[in-house]
Amino acid sequence: MAKLKKFFRYENVGLLFVLPAFLYMLVFVGYPIIRNIILSFQDVNAGNLVRGTKNFILFDNYMELFQDSVFTNSLWNTLRYTVLCLVFQFVIGFLLALFFSQRFSLAKPVRGILLVPWMIPVTVTALMFKLLFATDIGVINFILRSMHLINKNIEWLTTPGTAMFALICANVWIGIPFNMILISTGLTTIPKELYESASIDGAGKVQTFFKITLPLLKPTIESVLILGFIYTFKVYDLVYVMTSGGPVNSTHMLSTYSYKLSFEMFKYSKGSAVANVLLVILLVVGVFYIKVTTDGEDA
Amino acid sequence: MDEEKRLSRKKNILFGIISAVLLCILLFPLYWALITSLKTEQEIFQNPPTFYPHVLNTKSYAAQVETGDFNMFRSFANSFLISVGATVIAVLLAVPASYGIAKYHFKARKVMLLSFLVTQMLPVSVLLTPMFIMFKNMHVYNTWVAAVLADATIGIPFSVLILKNYFASIPKDLEEAAYLDGCNKFGAFVRILIPIAKPGVMVCAIFSFLYAWGDLAYGMTFILDQEKRPITAGIFNFMGQYGTKWSYLTAFAVVTIIPVALIFIFMQKYIVSGMTSGAVKG
Repeated sequence: MAKLKKFFRYENVGLLFVLPAFLYMLVFVGYPIIRNIILSFQDVNAGNLVRGTKNFILFDNYMELFQDSVFTNSLWNTLRYTVLCLVFQFVIGFLLALFFSQRFSLAKPVRGILLVPWMIPVTVTALMFKLLFATDIGVINFILRSMHLINKNIEWLTTPGTAMFALICANVWIGIPFNMILISTGLTTIPKELYESASIDGAGKVQTFFKITLPLLKPTIESVLILGFIYTFKVYDLVYVMTSGGPVNSTHMLSTYSYKLSFEMFKYSKGSAVANVLLVILLVVGVFYIKVTTDGEDA
Repeated sequence: MDEEKRLSRKKNILFGIISAVLLCILLFPLYWALITSLKTEQEIFQNPPTFYPHVLNTKSYAAQVETGDFNMFRSFANSFLISVGATVIAVLLAVPASYGIAKYHFKARKVMLLSFLVTQMLPVSVLLTPMFIMFKNMHVYNTWVAAVLADATIGIPFSVLILKNYFASIPKDLEEAAYLDGCNKFGAFVRILIPIAKPGVMVCAIFSFLYAWGDLAYGMTFILDQEKRPITAGIFNFMGQYGTKWSYLTAFAVVTIIPVALIFIFMQKYIVSGMTSGAVKG
């Protein structure tokens, strides 16, 4: 008893405060991750899902995956989608951040309103973009038609190449505010005197941007890009609602293919294996993120 | 000086116009969904499209109250219940946890902090099947409890990471003054520290709510019956069944956005501070 009292006397009291949340996460996240890894080494289907199985087939699920063209396509799609989304949302977000860092009276309120796309449930965003890209009534086809760029409506969401384009547009729309606001905050941390002395030294705007703004923003840019990568790479709802991986599997991402295998085809083990591949890639990037943002000190 | 003032007024007007144009372009999808929900089906299919409803039609909203293979307002209530439940769990657990991490240097501190950081990056796909099995065994599958338990796992790590900065910034003297007044550690935490960290707690509550409100995967996977499902899953279901009934679909979209819009209007400052403190969405 005395020992117990001593244990909780000082710093270890902190443990008591953290424990409830930690245990919750251990039960509802930690355990599922382990369970998912075990699942991926088994052969679990609708018949033996809940009562469990001892039937271990080890790496068979993973071996099968790499011969499965839908899987390799999903992997490639996810990468391509992520990189393209990042490029566009970062560039547009950066330009907007620079624009709103100018001093004019509408800067703050307008920048605030532009955050709204980020807050909207992704299911709703997916629905809105489905409407914009609709074949017959879609505004995008209408605009292209009135500019005489096309003379026949494009079937955006049911043609493989254009479906991916529509998904990227929707995701860039969600991602712009996130990039903009983080870069805006980064810009405010650059001391004004630096710009003043640069202009005294006769540096032009372009030169100032490349010599002062960019280098000083480096930490912000790194974390924006890595966080953006993590968030985009695990995309699920947007793709599931807009295309469900179609047409003919051309827009499947790792997450949607995993969902399809598990909850539409009831190949739970194979679905888990896909999810684990996704997890490993995210963890590698995540470690990189932690390294970059904390630089070894307190996380 | 006069010259400069005139120049800055000119700049103010010019930049104001540019930002108004940007606003129109970037928020056009929202505007389009709103006006589509107020058009008649006939007008929606009109060519060329109308850029505001020529005949105002509120039937898409009213029809949901009257008939009901998919009752939008019940789904809305489900979503609300689930999101509030997840928010309460997240805040109740995250507030003490973040305080513990910010103010005490116990042994497992680093490991725990790191695990909260990592859980924020997890894809839902990894958790869906094991959670599905777990909820079936717990007999909460196909109830709102399952969605609440799952949604809270998004809010907790986010809240811990945000709040620990708030607690860490509170000077130790304040806490020590409370001890002198006869508070114990727990008393000081409840009476002194939580009130000071209140803006942080607000950020956590808002984001936990928004995450749960926007969730589709958990609500769709763990709740089977349409009448218990959240509104996001309801929309998805409806899209599959009546894919081109755009007046109804956009009406659902507008109703789903209402709480988000209210949060934005009344609590905008919290949104900015939440977004800039290293959040990964979803």
